[in-house]
Amino acid sequence: MKKFKSKQTGVLSASDLKTVKGQAIYWTFIAILVVAAICSLLPAVWTVLTAFKDTQEIYSSFSFLPKDMSWDRFVTRITESWGYLQLGESFINTIVLSLGNLAVSIIVCGFGGYVLSKLKPTGTKLIFTLVVWTMMMPSQIRLVPNYISWLHFPFAADIGFGINLLDTYWPMWLGAGANTFSVLLFKNAFDGLSNSYVEAAKLDGCTNYGVFFKIMLPLAMPVIIFESINVLSAAWSEFFTPLLVLDKNVVVPLSIYRLQSDTGIQMNTYFMALVFASIPPFIIFAFFQKQIMGGVNIGGVKG
Amino acid sequence: MKNHQNTDVAALTQKHKRRTKFRNNIDAWILMLPMVVILYLFVWRPTVLSGIWSFFNMKAYSIAEFCGLDNYIKVISHTQFLPTLWNTVQYVLWSLVIGFLPPLFIAIMINEIVHFKSGFRVLIYIPAVIPGIAAMLMWYFMYYPDQTGLLNMILAKFGIEPFTWLNNPKFTIVGIIIYTTWKGFAGTMLLYYASLQGVSTEVYEAAIIDGAGPFKRLWHVTRPAMEGLLLLNLVRQIISVFQIMEQPLAMTGGGPNGASTSLAYQLYQYGFNSGGKGTGQAMALGVIIFLILIVFTIFYFWLNKKVEDRY
Repeated sequence: MKKFKSKQTGVLSASDLKTVKGQAIYWTFIAILVVAAICSLLPAVWTVLTAFKDTQEIYSSFSFLPKDMSWDRFVTRITESWGYLQLGESFINTIVLSLGNLAVSIIVCGFGGYVLSKLKPTGTKLIFTLVVWTMMMPSQIRLVPNYISWLHFPFAADIGFGINLLDTYWPMWLGAGANTFSVLLFKNAFDGLSNSYVEAAKLDGCTNYGVFFKIMLPLAMPVIIFESINVLSAAWSEFFTPLLVLDKNVVVPLSIYRLQSDTGIQMNTYFMALVFASIPPFIIFAFFQKQIMGGVNIGGVKG
Repeated sequence: MKNHQNTDVAALTQKHKRRTKFRNNIDAWILMLPMVVILYLFVWRPTVLSGIWSFFNMKAYSIAEFCGLDNYIKVISHTQFLPTLWNTVQYVLWSLVIGFLPPLFIAIMINEIVHFKSGFRVLIYIPAVIPGIAAMLMWYFMYYPDQTGLLNMILAKFGIEPFTWLNNPKFTIVGIIIYTTWKGFAGTMLLYYASLQGVSTEVYEAAIIDGAGPFKRLWHVTRPAMEGLLLLNLVRQIISVFQIMEQPLAMTGGGPNGASTSLAYQLYQYGFNSGGKGTGQAMALGVIIFLILIVFTIFYFWLNKKVEDRY
């Protein structure tokens, strides 16, 4: 096997792989990984296949594959389910929600992380300590007071003239900015960029804002892309805050959560709803696979 | 910064310097202001208010009168409090038993193989891509107690009677933790994988020269390099699983008979499913969760500093 020669020395080395013992270990690794990959995929594959089955078939045949796997059948199942589920509006709403989250997150957390890392005005230490400490705090402690403040924004409680944010996207949008993980992600990324860029630019007469937009922003592009992917995927998955807040302007995760109490729905249609809800994150994954898989290097251990 | 000073900067008068410093401070604070305001409104203020309001009677979502420790007494003396606390501890323990080491082992294996390396990485990452709520409902149906559920379908192929899975009070927490492990697996694995790639091959080569076999190398080279990160992840996992809420909410509704109710799920019930009667208790329970976890949080920061000093 040619590939073994190029193996980097680790727990196994190229010379180990010439022995029977080394070979046995190596192929055991591969076997375990195959099992792990199957376990990872099986639920998703089963969901897709069940979505394409007949209603009758689900309750009678109990086989893994649908009986009729023709193209026409796939098309009818998709159009039928889409017609029943009426998810179009939810999809548009989720796009609006996710883009808002993205803008707020980049502007609020990006600027915040930048200032904490590079400009360090008076009071930085206090703010930074507060950010780090609140990051590890259980978020449940602020659940009820937050709900009350959504009812009377921007006040903490009813004093007569607050704005009611229920059934708008503002609680989620503002929540995207109140993410201490993102702030620290940006701070760590800016910490990795040298200060000498800033000083050189300032000597050339660049303002603080100029430094940020012309020098720091382009250098920070990888972390901005990483954060954007995270925020966009999270918007397609978060159902808890929408559950508390939204009533009419539902988003996709909340729609499929609500389907659980829809007694009229057929199981195959339900599974198709899960498939539909998973499509946007998979599109994001397909496009940005490299950045997603490499992202942990940016975030680092400090998270 | 001082060693970068050149003649231009040195020529500035003291007064001018102070003025630029002031100007920089203002600019910096303007840039940081949105973050500080939002964190104040939605993180810092509610945390403090939760502590204060937990001593008040609440009328749905408005504050009535001071009531001392009433809310706390109601929460703790509730017959379900201790079982719920024990459930939460069980969630944590099972998540450590089932979910703590496998991501490390898989990361080591992927790091060692030369065939289909990135392919395995992508396949194992798939569960992390599926939106959380869709994945929970997917698993809800996999655990379905009749033969339409995938697991019972597989059992039936081997001639075994259908099992009740999540409807079984002894299995329900394990079932939810298996799902949680499946979902969170890839993220942790990638973290370990990135860290494994930082272990220098020279150390391994030196170990070979000293006559260390594969398992000795794993123990004496890989283990010391990963220890710090593993410990940090251990504490982080304890803290995050202790707050488990969405999984019981979507998969079991806290049932059967409260067997999968966690403290955080109970808090949600108090806050939003009690007809406005339990809002005060919800905040008291939040403070209790906070007090339990603060111990782990302090330990985490202490550990983090140790680990950073070491590497």
